[in-house]
Amino acid sequence: MSFVTQRPLELILARNLMSALSTPAFLVDEGGVLVFYNEAAGMMLGKRFEELGTVGAAEWGSLFGPFDESGEPIPYDELPLVSAVRDGRPAHAEFVIHSSDGASHEVEVSAFPILTAHGSQGGIAIFWPTQADGNGAHPA
Amino acid sequence: MKVKLWGTRGSIPSPGPETIRYGGNTSCVGVTLSDGSLLALDAGSGIRSLGLSLSDEPARLHVLLTHLHLDHILGLAFFAPLFRPQTEIVIWGPASPEASLRDRIARYISAPLSPVEVRELPCDVSFRHAPDSEWEIGPARIRSASVAHRGPTLGYRIDDGDSSLTYIPDHEPGLGADLDRLEDDWISGFALARDTSLLIHDGQYSDSEYPCHVGWGHSALGDALTFANRTGAERTVLFHHDPMHSDDFLDRFEGEARERWAALGNDPATIELGAERAEYELPAQVAKATVIA
Repeated sequence: MSFVTQRPLELILARNLMSALSTPAFLVDEGGVLVFYNEAAGMMLGKRFEELGTVGAAEWGSLFGPFDESGEPIPYDELPLVSAVRDGRPAHAEFVIHSSDGASHEVEVSAFPILTAHGSQGGIAIFWPTQADGNGAHPA
Repeated sequence: MKVKLWGTRGSIPSPGPETIRYGGNTSCVGVTLSDGSLLALDAGSGIRSLGLSLSDEPARLHVLLTHLHLDHILGLAFFAPLFRPQTEIVIWGPASPEASLRDRIARYISAPLSPVEVRELPCDVSFRHAPDSEWEIGPARIRSASVAHRGPTLGYRIDDGDSSLTYIPDHEPGLGADLDRLEDDWISGFALARDTSLLIHDGQYSDSEYPCHVGWGHSALGDALTFANRTGAERTVLFHHDPMHSDDFLDRFEGEARERWAALGNDPATIELGAERAEYELPAQVAKATVIA
């Protein structure tokens, strides 16, 4: 008997939902590995997920910066998606990212953990442009 | 391993002259393992007939519930072995953060819906959450996994010798996804069905019906065929027939399924619609399933 390991159903359903969103969204598994981002996020990053594939924990943060308001890089452990998965709590932050065209955009990020009967299965982060930035990170 | 379909209908029992050949009872499949152990997959109205077919000798039975929608449990209170003190019954099902399996089933087997309470059942009955790992019943290895449907829902795979049965009667793997493009590990239920000897899978809707039922938790024919084709199932039985589908409709539906299955490069004889009382034998040493009735 040989099994292909199935992703947790909650991740599968999250990916399917995110695929239909026009808002940039990122999905990590319980180990913090970036396992999917949607087309809107791909437009923001300048690279489709299918081109990049999964990205290990501690590596994916550098895909888009991020920087605080004074221009200092934000440590990986302080990213809202990382803290949401680690702490099992929602997290929210504002920071600056660099999009694929080199422009800087202020974004708000909301992240929440995916908690199931089998424990934490990962987390989702959704990006919105700040009101000051207008349509920077939102392609739609 | 022997497999017998005792109920193939979805949603609600649909007896009548229009449903004689495919049957009107809701989901229940009897599985006799190579050592004679008996499993019942789901407890729809079909389990009543399964129960009546059993002797009243002391026995240990396992009932594996995919989920607790009424069409999958409504026969439980009419399952004769539950009323035999000499019988031990283990009921497996999905966990829920809301309440235990026993408490959720007791909502049905209790007043005002039932004259009998769970605590009054004469048999030795126990309730177990299906583990998120493989476990053994007799000679078989059982594996469950959450699958795309409304509410906590499991699919099951039973491996006995070289043969395997995969049972995913309520399943909408194509919800919000293109099954042709997804990687294997991102397809709900894929791991359970991979290279299985016999796949019993949701095939409730035609492709033209499906758009009016997106998100209801069931498959369009096209998605069921894609799922079966991608998983490499050796034989596929489409199941959970819509209560509005008459025998004549299902005859045509099966014809369409076989044509499209052949167009995918498969033997059209390896796919069919489940019919009540149909039996399949999955030899322990030979992977091919054969219809014996």
